[in-house]
Amino acid sequence: MLLRKKKDEESEIPTASMGDVAFLILIFFLTSTVFTKDKGLKMLLPEKTSDEERVTVVKENIVTIAINPSGEANVKTIGYNEFLSRGDFGRITEIVEERLLERDTLLVVSLRTSKEAPYSSMVEALDQIKIAKVTSEDGRELRANKISLIPTSEE
Amino acid sequence: MRKSIIRKAGRKIEIPMSSTADIAFLLILFFMVTTVFRATTLRLKYTLPQAESTERILMRRNVTYIFVDVDSKVYIDDNLIREDVVAARIAPKVWENPDLITILNVDESVNYGTVDVILDQLKEAKAFRITFATERKT
Repeated sequence: MLLRKKKDEESEIPTASMGDVAFLILIFFLTSTVFTKDKGLKMLLPEKTSDEERVTVVKENIVTIAINPSGEANVKTIGYNEFLSRGDFGRITEIVEERLLERDTLLVVSLRTSKEAPYSSMVEALDQIKIAKVTSEDGRELRANKISLIPTSEE
Repeated sequence: MRKSIIRKAGRKIEIPMSSTADIAFLLILFFMVTTVFRATTLRLKYTLPQAESTERILMRRNVTYIFVDVDSKVYIDDNLIREDVVAARIAPKVWENPDLITILNVDESVNYGTVDVILDQLKEAKAFRITFATERKT
């Protein structure tokens, strides 16, 4: 009997500061969240191969893009041998797309960059290869997935 | 006339002070989080090349960075290192996390030769998943 609470006394949890607490947590998370700022061109490097393991690719399946020390490109493939100055790298996409339609997944793009060439023109060329995208006759989306990065040196 | 302006003496006016602590904490927190100390920003000078097909890298935990600045100096984990010891630095990280993605933040004017040396080192360290950091072309 003695333990029972008096009926006229009500207990309450104060809720006035709930809003403040909520705002505090909100602001904490708003400011502490870091959005991913990492972005770039993904590549998968090949394993290191010795000379015996080399694979030979048929000429028809290769598009060779050679970049010279001043950052200009020369695109060489069946039916093409074009010199591109730094402004018209967009042509690479067109050529690669055309070859993709013909050669499907067999296509290999070989990006031969001179060691003295600026990195930016190599990235520009790589970008253009990655942009290339065509839909094959049977509705598949084709991209140039096989890209090999080869350094060259002028001697 | 004058009497009506004067407030009644019996009523006390108070500004509520109970939330000042909360406000103060809020401000402290805000400034604590937003402050960036200059010491932590490395004096790296590099401009990333631009590319249209720039993709976002979503797995932040699997990421490690290599920086190459305008003067072709190579940095890993805030340390200036020689370009031929990149493999030695990256190999233990690959051992810990085989899905490691190496992000190459290379200045656009650097010679490709430097990049090639690093790529070769990464192959040696079996860090095959790489990304050339770029800015989205607008």
